[in-house]
Amino acid sequence: MAKPKVGFFDFACCEGCQLQVANLGEMLLDVLGAIDVVEFREVMSEKGPEKLDVAIIEGSITDKHAIERIKKIRERAGVLIAYGACACIGGVNGMKNNFKLEDIRKEVYGDRFKYFDSVETKAVHQVVKVDYFINGCPVYIPEFVAVLKCALQGIPYEVPDRAVCVECKLNENVCMYQKGVTCMGPITKAGCNSWCINNNNICYGCRGMVSNPNEKGAKDIIEKYKVPMDLIVNKMNMYNKCREIDKREQKKR
Amino acid sequence: MEQYFVLKKKSFNDFVSTMAKKQKVVAPIEKGNNQYAFEEVKSGDEIATGYIPTILPPKKYFMPQNETIAKFDISSGQNMEPVVEYEKMTIFGVRTCDLAGIQCLNMVFSDRPRDLNYLIRKNEITIVGFECNDYCDEYASCRLVHNHTPNGGYDLFFTDLGDKFIVHVNTLAGEEIIGQSNVFEKASDQDIKMLNILRTKKREIFAKNEVPIEHENIPGLFDKSYNSKVWEELEKKCVACGNCTNVCPSCYCFDVVDEPNLDLKTGRRSRKWDSCQHETFAKVAGGESFREERGARQRHRYFRKFKYPMDKFSRFFCTGCGRCSRTCMAGINLKETLTVLVEEHGMKNPNAGEVRIG
Repeated sequence: MAKPKVGFFDFACCEGCQLQVANLGEMLLDVLGAIDVVEFREVMSEKGPEKLDVAIIEGSITDKHAIERIKKIRERAGVLIAYGACACIGGVNGMKNNFKLEDIRKEVYGDRFKYFDSVETKAVHQVVKVDYFINGCPVYIPEFVAVLKCALQGIPYEVPDRAVCVECKLNENVCMYQKGVTCMGPITKAGCNSWCINNNNICYGCRGMVSNPNEKGAKDIIEKYKVPMDLIVNKMNMYNKCREIDKREQKKR
Repeated sequence: MEQYFVLKKKSFNDFVSTMAKKQKVVAPIEKGNNQYAFEEVKSGDEIATGYIPTILPPKKYFMPQNETIAKFDISSGQNMEPVVEYEKMTIFGVRTCDLAGIQCLNMVFSDRPRDLNYLIRKNEITIVGFECNDYCDEYASCRLVHNHTPNGGYDLFFTDLGDKFIVHVNTLAGEEIIGQSNVFEKASDQDIKMLNILRTKKREIFAKNEVPIEHENIPGLFDKSYNSKVWEELEKKCVACGNCTNVCPSCYCFDVVDEPNLDLKTGRRSRKWDSCQHETFAKVAGGESFREERGARQRHRYFRKFKYPMDKFSRFFCTGCGRCSRTCMAGINLKETLTVLVEEHGMKNPNAGEVRIG
């Protein structure tokens, strides 16, 4: 059987998640043994064929040109994978949605702003259908490999819909809240093996929020630890502002 | 076989390093913020003194969080080979609550069909218990479940007598450790007397249950408690993080997953810890969930500690270690929950215990 043809594409992002693939080390050889990379601007000049088996998308959708481009890639690809926080949940680019578009354009492009369009920042699934999500800023390499294997087998990958606290506890980290530090672990989806907290950093919520949180219970906890609500909301919006678009769409239905 | 030996505290380092030269030794070390964890040690001064129950109980050595149980290769036919992962080690400093936890796991995994992976691994582990002379903190409820004093389940058992430890030898493996080093002396009558004085003093410290109910009335309490209002209260509080079950010394639920390698032909079957508190655990094929509410999942946890194992194994699976309450961000407290149930059913008996909630 021929190896599946895979293309990497980037939209609004820092391209750091693509670098993570280059950082795979020895495992990169196994990955290249399993797939045929036909398009990957970060590491090669060639362009892929019209039909792709898998498209891996990094970055969020932030202008009209990007909308057209992602729709074309979707048409070319059998399977589409959103890759990294910007693609999966909008990521830090979502902070743009806190402001008026015109103000943003003026700030960035000065008096030439009229030549540059801009649209509300969206995650990839808010524009086209996404088959797999690889969350994180950057992506967690073992999860990238796990998702890739699922895609190659044609079976679903379930992002763990439980708090980072679960993995953090299994790693026997001292809870950040016990150290008096506010951490987004309790409301953020697991799957990263509490990577940041293992390294003495807090969780920033880059993997998106758990889907069915106990809001009342979470509020009680925030009050118990005397964390101001607006601080939590700001921290949440750093990566998760685009969740408002999902909520809006749900209401429409 | 001599039953009791003493080890002078100044010889403690020699004892641990001698042991560590023979095989891997794990013991509680301090992680900061009065938190402790079992980790590998090479000498005695790495070991924490006066530690409260560790973040995870020693069950992590008996049932690893992510254990390979089989390897498969489907390149020609469906070949599968069972795998047992084990390692010789000594766990030093196991408190009486955690000894009880290991006894619970032993019962579960010895039940038919027997779990050979667990049983083979268990045989390679030497357990050195360590007595608590006083309460660790306000979360413990070891008196209620009769685990504040040792009830076996160890090879050696240490009790702190000031400038020395008195050591009870319970098994041949324990006797071997004593024989390996020359730092132990036979305990004198005076040493035994000191141990007895300490145990008498402990009877005063652990005079009453931590919840105002008699030990033998707990099963009756749970017979009446299925529809209690307290579960609705827990529904509001619980965020379903699953920390209570992960840190529990007697929770053993797991998931089994097949993980292929990138060649998609070879791979491993692994067993991972799971938790009844998670929505994904409660959900079954077809999307149906039998315990959709967090309150129902919490009730299940309590019944799995105080009712179901009593029916099946005639023992409580709550070891009184207090970890679930200590770790819960939402402040769900086992002593508090039991006290509410006791009061709700008019079973309160102040002579049996005091309501002391931290």
